[in-house]
Amino acid sequence: MSLAARLLALLCAFAACGIAVAATPATPPALRLGFVETRTLPGFATPLISHGVLSVDPARSFRWEITAPYHYVFEMHGSEAQEQLPDGRVRRLDPGQAPWLAAVEQIFMGAVSGNVTQLQRYFELKIAPLAQGRRITLTPKPGALSQAITQIQVTETAPGHPRQIDIRETSGGGMQLRFTPIPPPPANP
Amino acid sequence: MNTRLAAAARCALWLASLGVLCACAWLRLDLQQPINTDILAALPAQQDSGALRIANQRSRDAFVNELLVLVSGADTKATREAAFAAWTALLHSGMHTENTGQSVQRLLAVYQAHHFAMLDPAQAARLSRGGARALATDVAVSLASPASLISSFDQDPGGYLSGFLGQLPQPYPGFLPDGPLFTALRHGQRDFLLRVDVGGSGFSQQGAALAVGAVNAAREAAHQTCRSCRFQATGAPLFADAARREAQSEALWLSVASTVLIMLLIAYVFRSFAPHLLAALQLVASVLAASAAVILCFGSIQILTLVFGTTLLGIAIDYAFLYFAEYWFGESAPPAVWRRVRPGLLLGLLTGVIAFAFLLLAGFPVLTQIAVFSVAGLLEAGLTVALIFPLGLRRNPRVAAHAAVRWPQQFIAVGCRATRWRYLLPALALLLAIPGWLRLQTSDDVRELQHLPAKLLQADAQLRSTLGQTPPPGFFLIAGANLQQALEREQALFAKLGAQWPSATELGLSRFLPSQAEQQASLAAWQSVLAAPAALQTAFRQLGLPAALTQRLESQWRRSSQQPLDAAQVFDAAPDLRWLVISTPGSVTLLATVTSQEALDPTSLEQTAAATPGTEFVQPLARIADTFHRIRMRATWLVIIGYFLICALLLWRYGRREALRMLFSPLLALAVTLGALGWLGEPLNIFVVVALILILGLGRDYSVFLREGGARQRSPALAVTLSAITMLFSFGLLAVSRIPALHAFGLATLIGILASYLSAPLSLPPVSRQRT
Repeated sequence: MSLAARLLALLCAFAACGIAVAATPATPPALRLGFVETRTLPGFATPLISHGVLSVDPARSFRWEITAPYHYVFEMHGSEAQEQLPDGRVRRLDPGQAPWLAAVEQIFMGAVSGNVTQLQRYFELKIAPLAQGRRITLTPKPGALSQAITQIQVTETAPGHPRQIDIRETSGGGMQLRFTPIPPPPANP
Repeated sequence: MNTRLAAAARCALWLASLGVLCACAWLRLDLQQPINTDILAALPAQQDSGALRIANQRSRDAFVNELLVLVSGADTKATREAAFAAWTALLHSGMHTENTGQSVQRLLAVYQAHHFAMLDPAQAARLSRGGARALATDVAVSLASPASLISSFDQDPGGYLSGFLGQLPQPYPGFLPDGPLFTALRHGQRDFLLRVDVGGSGFSQQGAALAVGAVNAAREAAHQTCRSCRFQATGAPLFADAARREAQSEALWLSVASTVLIMLLIAYVFRSFAPHLLAALQLVASVLAASAAVILCFGSIQILTLVFGTTLLGIAIDYAFLYFAEYWFGESAPPAVWRRVRPGLLLGLLTGVIAFAFLLLAGFPVLTQIAVFSVAGLLEAGLTVALIFPLGLRRNPRVAAHAAVRWPQQFIAVGCRATRWRYLLPALALLLAIPGWLRLQTSDDVRELQHLPAKLLQADAQLRSTLGQTPPPGFFLIAGANLQQALEREQALFAKLGAQWPSATELGLSRFLPSQAEQQASLAAWQSVLAAPAALQTAFRQLGLPAALTQRLESQWRRSSQQPLDAAQVFDAAPDLRWLVISTPGSVTLLATVTSQEALDPTSLEQTAAATPGTEFVQPLARIADTFHRIRMRATWLVIIGYFLICALLLWRYGRREALRMLFSPLLALAVTLGALGWLGEPLNIFVVVALILILGLGRDYSVFLREGGARQRSPALAVTLSAITMLFSFGLLAVSRIPALHAFGLATLIGILASYLSAPLSLPPVSRQRT
């Protein structure tokens, strides 16, 4: 019965506010970075600052952990994702109902790995050399992604070694992530 | 003078009968829809509720008018430009579209204005129970999640609206809107989906041709813009056009071949042009009268009636051949020909009319129409022979009996000899047929009657696989006393479906418009949390969030209507959603469906629907199959009953022994045909049943003509032979068709007519006994 499909298709899919769905991202090398997130919200003079750890391993495991001011963990393994909430609950996420999952993973993986080819699928790229490293400016290509994000700047000390990511949103808000390398956790015996 | 008057009177009577019938039909004709192409109208009217009829119509309209185009390429920019070029070409070629972007923006604005009413039952319960602490936690999660990168925090700090929007059904998983298009990135390449509608009916010749032209223009435009991009298209109009072209192409060569063969045969046998003219006149007059009679009775004519009825009228050619054979090669002088053939022709006509008249009792509109069509057509054919043929054939023919005229008589004579082969061969044929009967399968699935081009099928499968869309097997109808009750029932149904098939996507109005009860619960939850601002500030501070968020939320709450979203607001924003609601006096019915990447079991869907009050699951294809099944069964039984009546008539005229002998021949042909079809693995469908009715009619005519004419007469044998050969040319040739429906009909007719003709001598007594 394609009537409903036709009608609903017209109306349904703004769910992710226009994020392109990703292909399988290129796997960056194992990476573990501490970060400080400075979040600017429209209408709030004081930015929100949080701290956390971002880790990526070759087995395509992506882990985003906020350690302060509260504890929150987002983990993604392949197409499966789950959250650990500040009140201790664990919530599984259905990729089918959260199309942003793959898109966000794609953007983060591409940005932290410095995979220019991968990022070019979504963004117009400008690469400017710095005294140490380079700055990649990503402008979303015309389409869905450009409705949410104005620009992303990735500053690297070397390809695959991000120092800072600045995201400017169309809402006027923004997010800055400053990374610091931290040692890997001790391996399990 | 008398002859002239008689001729004028005959002409006047013939023309007047036909003219009056046509004039009356014209007055009764439904000019909006002279030919009814709605096959579902074949269903008895009382079985379709108003809502079901409307739902069927809407689902069919959407299906038959939709075109899907996918433009793919590695380079996003070039592919997007190619997709937009194709889009422009489609619109310039007369395709229609909705402005997706505007609809989405309007609906988004409506949801944002009512976002306090959009908590789902679990969220509302959590806020009601957990109060400020629960809300603060949700806000923290919303900010901490990587999704905050793309969420609108200032409008939706708890991420609830994003959650609601994320829960909305996605008909094309992974595809998101990009202006009027949908787009996705898969396996390293960018896909753009274009969806348009054919303005009129996609199944009409004009609509389908328009769609094909538009797709060709779009393909060319995309190719010009991006040479490396891939272009795929699918949709019912493309299949309809391909099927029609193939049918036309086959019909053309088959008709030309059969017409040429028949004309050559008639010319060779009669050495005259008159039989061509008179047979054509008879055919045209009988189809005209038959159509007029149906229109007079029903206002319009069903397409199935036209197709099947015209086929069944093929029997009428027997009357013409009976007359021609007697006129050219019989023993009667021209003025006496009618008198000579009259008993056989009238008896054949009477038995034919009786057999078809029984279909009047079927209770199915289409069978009733076919009965009226066939009876009227046969009567007109008989009238034409009786009134017009004697006028056209008044001179003594000057054609000597040649070999082609003599051998039919010899064949009948050989067949009538009282040898043991006369009994052994039919017995052997029956013995061989019996295993075939046991292998016989039935099929009423309309999909098996079509032949669709492999290229289109492949493109359709690839495109739907890319879109992750398996067409659902049907739709749900959820009835309630009012919209709210229907919405609540739909939500209950969707909850059951979600539990049973977690990966399925439910599509219905309740996904866009939560019930009033659910929205009231959401508003109450917010009210309870915002009633204690101090607690909320404390909860925010404890999580390191700004306490000023409380004022932001309170301000938004005060500015909001604090009322549930109602259907009118949703319909104003997205008028197409009205199509999911069917209002009938005293009730509201919702149209809904479920899609999944894997095929869903229709029986389980039916059971789930049956367990929900006011809900039913409708399968349009199954309904059509059921209609064909019932038509097939009723037609079969009514023809059997009709045969008993014909049997009584023959008993009255010929006595028990001769009547049984005359019925044996057509029934043997029927048995052999069914056995052969079983051996060949051909299913028994509605087209085969029509062929069987035709075979029985022809066999019966052969028996009557031979019996009335006598075994030693040349003209009945010739008439029967010519009838069999022309029928083989007309219908038997269809056996080579690639279209399964035509192939099944042609094959059954081919076998049946051969069997009828070869068994025709069995309807006469053995020669030795006759002499005795």
